[in-house]
Formats: sequence, structure tokens, C-alpha cells
Amino acid sequence: MSPSRFAADLRAFGAAALKEWRLLRRYPSLFVGFLFWPIALPVAYVFQARGYAGDSDAALDAFAARAGTAEVAGFLFLGWAAYMWISMILWGPGTALRTEQVRGSLEALFMTPASRLVILFGPAVSQVVWALWMFAIVAATMTLVFGVDLAVASALRALVVIGVAVPALYGLGALFAAVVLRFGEVSALVQTVRGVFTVFCGMSFPIVILPEWGRAVALALPPTYLIADLRRVLLAGSDLAAVVPDLAVLLSLGLLLCAAAVVAFRRTERYARRGGSLASY
Amino acid sequence: MDAPAVEATALVKEFERGRRTVWQRLRGDPDRRVRFRAVDGIDLRVERGEIFGLLGPNGAGKTTTMKMLATLLEPTSGSARILGRDVVSDAREVRRRIGAVLSDGRSLYWKLTARENLEYFAALYHVPPDEQRQRIERVLAAVKLDDRADDYVERYSTGMRQRLVLARALLPDPELLLLDEPTVGLDPQAARDLRGRVRDLQSQGRTVLLTTHYMEEADQLCDRIAIVDHGRVVALDTPAGLKRTIGATEVVRLEVSAPDAAHPVDGSLMRRLGSAGHVAHHEREDDRLAITVHARSARDFVPVAFDAARAEGVAIQHVEVVPVSLEDVFISLTGRALRE
Ligand SMILES: Nc1ncnc2c1ncn2[C@@H]1O[C@H](COP(=O)(O)OP(=O)(O)OP(=O)(O)O)[C@@H](O)[C@H]1O
Ligand SMILES: [Mg+2]
Repeated sequence: MSPSRFAADLRAFGAAALKEWRLLRRYPSLFVGFLFWPIALPVAYVFQARGYAGDSDAALDAFAARAGTAEVAGFLFLGWAAYMWISMILWGPGTALRTEQVRGSLEALFMTPASRLVILFGPAVSQVVWALWMFAIVAATMTLVFGVDLAVASALRALVVIGVAVPALYGLGALFAAVVLRFGEVSALVQTVRGVFTVFCGMSFPIVILPEWGRAVALALPPTYLIADLRRVLLAGSDLAAVVPDLAVLLSLGLLLCAAAVVAFRRTERYARRGGSLASY
Repeated sequence: MDAPAVEATALVKEFERGRRTVWQRLRGDPDRRVRFRAVDGIDLRVERGEIFGLLGPNGAGKTTTMKMLATLLEPTSGSARILGRDVVSDAREVRRRIGAVLSDGRSLYWKLTARENLEYFAALYHVPPDEQRQRIERVLAAVKLDDRADDYVERYSTGMRQRLVLARALLPDPELLLLDEPTVGLDPQAARDLRGRVRDLQSQGRTVLLTTHYMEEADQLCDRIAIVDHGRVVALDTPAGLKRTIGATEVVRLEVSAPDAAHPVDGSLMRRLGSAGHVAHHEREDDRLAITVHARSARDFVPVAFDAARAEGVAIQHVEVVPVSLEDVFISLTGRALRE
């Protein structure tokens, strides 16, 4: 690829991000509506934990021994924040591309000389805005309501962890988007994958309580690392050096998933150009 | 370079009709899909600077042809070159050089303004950043939307949206424009307006290939027309040349009341009429006959028609004389009306 074309595609990617942002700007109420869930869901679990085990030292020690931290609220908030981010990414890009397919704008996009990567990953850009918004809400609730102590330095480390998780999660989202375009719908697949993540990735419990085979499954799933490392740097006071091995796995899984997404998208495009399904109503 | 704007050779597109579900696959049911040819060997050559029209009824294969030329569909066989470049092996180069309108206003982002829509597509078309502003102003002016550029598209009329879709296609400053049914769904005023824009494009030196099933539109707008039916080109010429092929200058439409279905006069009446003109089409509806005759001169034919009717004991209710249209050409080529 020539440098000038690469630069032009980067600009196209920037334009896709700008477009998504401009669309979001038209729906300010979405941001307000979005305030509720990242708070309500973990709060329910925090109360559940208190209800089951109380907050005696014995109970908290038992929890800390398994979870690596005694911050029950922080532990749950981070788990569910990651889960909600993942949900958004699984649904978002696929739904966006599917909408374009149905309205006919996908054909207009495919007629441009822009790289297919722009079309595939462009819609996911807006999800970054959502993710940051949600993590901000979660951080605010954790510190202001539950008194979890978040230092600026550990918040910055958390941002690094989130950044490293981006390729894995966006690769997964793009892979699903390719599947949506090919089959017209993915909700069965998305629901299944979300279910697997909920059971194995430790959103609401420490994965050490899983049976051995369950832990093996967990270690193959990118969200496990994201969730565990967010908790380690934010709650257990680990520095980045301690989580580097995890982050390396997360990054490798991410690159694999991105490559798989690109291959799947190419195949979908070829299929669509044979059968005429770029526009389908 | 003087390669023609469009050169298609034996272009074929097969689709599968019917469906095969995952469930059927899993059970190993026999594949009941049938392949059929939406485009069945089209040869075309569009010269630079022309407005060229594909005219044909619903399902003739016009859109399929346009999508193959626009690199959105892969031909099953045959080949097509756009400005000298192959649409399959050199697709990206083709995309840089053409603008295509293959979809309606729904393909815009309604929650963005016209300018924001164009900014996004300008980047996708790799318009250099320092030219972008000027390019957008120019395409907006070309479709006369410059005064509404900062309105949200959701506030636009259907005609304005269609013009914005055309503006989007002009962003790469294309030598060739592919327009699929550019005026469909527009009111007569908006359609006339859009045709005016298409003529402007030609006067700027661009080539336009458009499809339509409005014969008046093809007649008024196009330098040359290919009439397409069942995926094939059945005639190709200038509008005047096509009309000459039916060997008449005027079309006479007769409405005859012939109630006695027990003694049908159809055959003998047609024979009498046929001596003075060419009966292109006749159709019975209850006790009425609608007859279309191609005549060299209506002045000579009409008296003959009245004599024939009197001789057969039927009455002519209505006579209409119109110039030959492309519709008549289509009927004489296929035996069917264009709009059915
Ligand atoms: N993706 C597709 N899959 C299967 N069949 C298709 C597909 N696209 C078009 N066809 C079929 O191919 C034939 C030609 O369709 P096409 O859209 O090219 O016709 P057209 O001339 O544009 O008609 P219209 O005037 O209605 O737009 C039709 O029978 C149509 O049903
Ligand atoms: Mg069509």
C-alpha cells in the first residue's frame, strides 16, 4: 500500500469517527439514559453480596483470599463495567453495518476507493466514546458513593489496560459485524457468546472458584484478562510490570481476532458481490 | 487515452432463485435453487461525452448491469471495462473514477447535514484535505443545494435528497456517472429539474450512463438508447433511429365497440385495417377493442379505418393520433407494453 493511500485511509478513518460523533451528538438523551445501568446493575450485586455474606471481617477475608481485594463494590463495578463495554462492542458495529446494508448506504460505502478496514472498524469508533463515558460514571460512583480509593496513577494504569484490550474486543465486534452482513442477523451468536463470557470471565465472582476446566476456558477468553487486570491495577495496587504477561496474551488474542475479522469480512464481501447481498431489504 | 467510457462484452450475471436454509443444509435436503440469468450477454459501448440510456421494463436487468459496472457485483462471465479499466481486476481504480447513484435518499445519513454527509464521503473518496472544502461547495452548487447545505437531511424533500445523492456521486469529480432510475419517485417538477442537472453534467464534459423505464425521459435526455429486455439488448440506436425502425411516422389508437362476442369480427377487421397500416397491438376488453396501428400517414389511414368499421358493422368510439414513441418501438420489438 502506498504511503499516500495509507494517509488517505487514515483520514477516512478519522472522518468515520467524526461522523459517528456527530450522529451521537444528535441523541444527547442516550447519554442520560445510559447513566442508569452501569450504576444499577453492580449496585444490585453489591447488595446481594452483603445480603449473603454480610460485611464481617471473616466474610471479607474469605472474599479477599479468593479475589485479591476486599473491595467488594469496586470488584463488582469493574466486572460489570467491562461486561457492558463488551456487550456494546458485540452489538454496536454489527448493528451499524446492518443498518447501512438495509438503507442502501453500504453500497455507497463500497463504491468508494476507501479501504474496507475503514468500513469494518469505522462504526466501532463511536463505541470508544461510550466506553470512556461509562468508565467515568463507574469511577465516579465507586469513589463518591462507595468510597473506593482510586489514585490518579492507578487510573492511568487502568487506561493502559483498557487500551490493550481494544484490539481484542474490537476484533470480536468486527468479526460479528462480518457475520451479520453475511447472514443478516447474529443475535443468537451474540447471546451465546455473552452468556459464555458471563459464566467464565468472572464479571461478578473471582474465577478461582470455577472448576479446573472452567478456568482453562476462562484463560482463552479475552474479557477474563481485561477484568482481572483492571481489578489488579485499580484495587490490589499492582503496577503495570505485574500484569505485563497478561497484557501480552490479551494483545495476541486481539491481533488474532482482528486478523480473523478481516478474513471473514473479505469472504463476506466476495459472497455479497456474487449474490448481490450488499443491499438487502 | 481514448478508451470508451464503458465497454461491456458478453456480460452475464446469474443469480439463484429460491433459498436454501441452514436447516435444509443440515438435513441434506436436495438443493432446489435454480440459477437464472438476470443479465444474459450484454454488449455495450458508451462513448465519452454521451448521455446513454438503458431503457427496459421491470426486471429487465438494468440495475444488475449497473451494479456490475459499479464494481458492486461480480459478473458471472463476460467482461466490462470502465475508462479502459477492468471492473473486476482493477476495481479500485474504477471506483476512483466513477460516481454512481444506485440508491435513493435513504442511503444518506438523515441525522447529519448535507455538508456533513459530503465531508464523510469526500474522505472516503480520498479527496485531498486542502481541496475538500472547495470540492464540496462545487458539488452542492452543481445540484443547487448550496443554500441548504447546513440543514439536516431529515428536513429535505424527496427531490432534494435525490439531488444530494447525486452530489455525493460527484465528489470524486468523475468522468463517468452511473445513474440508476435517477428520477423514480420524484414529482414531475423535481424530475424535470434533475434532468436539467444531468444535461449540465454532460456540458461539463462528463459521460452519463443512466437507466430508466420512463420512455419520455429516455427520449428527451439520451443521445443513444439501448432497449433491454430479459437481460439482453434488443435494440440500440439514437431515439430518432429507434423510432424509424418501425417504419411509421404516426401511431393511431382506435377504440372500437364490438359487442357481439359470438361473431368475433376481430380477425377480419384487423385484415382490413392491415391493408392501410401495421396493426401493432390489439386487445379485447369486454365489448371493446383497443387497437394500435402504425401508419405512414394518419390522414390516409383514418378514413380507411372508418370504412372498415362500417363494413364490419362495428362503431369506432374514439380515435387518437400521436407521434411514434419509444413505447411503440418497445411493443413492436417485444409484443408487450413497457409499463405493466
Ligand atoms: N441479488 C439478487 N438475487 C437474486 N435475484 C436478483 C437479485 N437482484 C436482482 N435479481 C433479479 O434479477 C432480475 C433483474 O433485476 P434488476 O433489478 O436488474 O432489474 P431492473 O431492470 O433494474 O428492474 P426495475 O426496473 O424493476 O428496477 C429480476 O428478476 C430480479 O428479481
Ligand atoms: Mg432497477
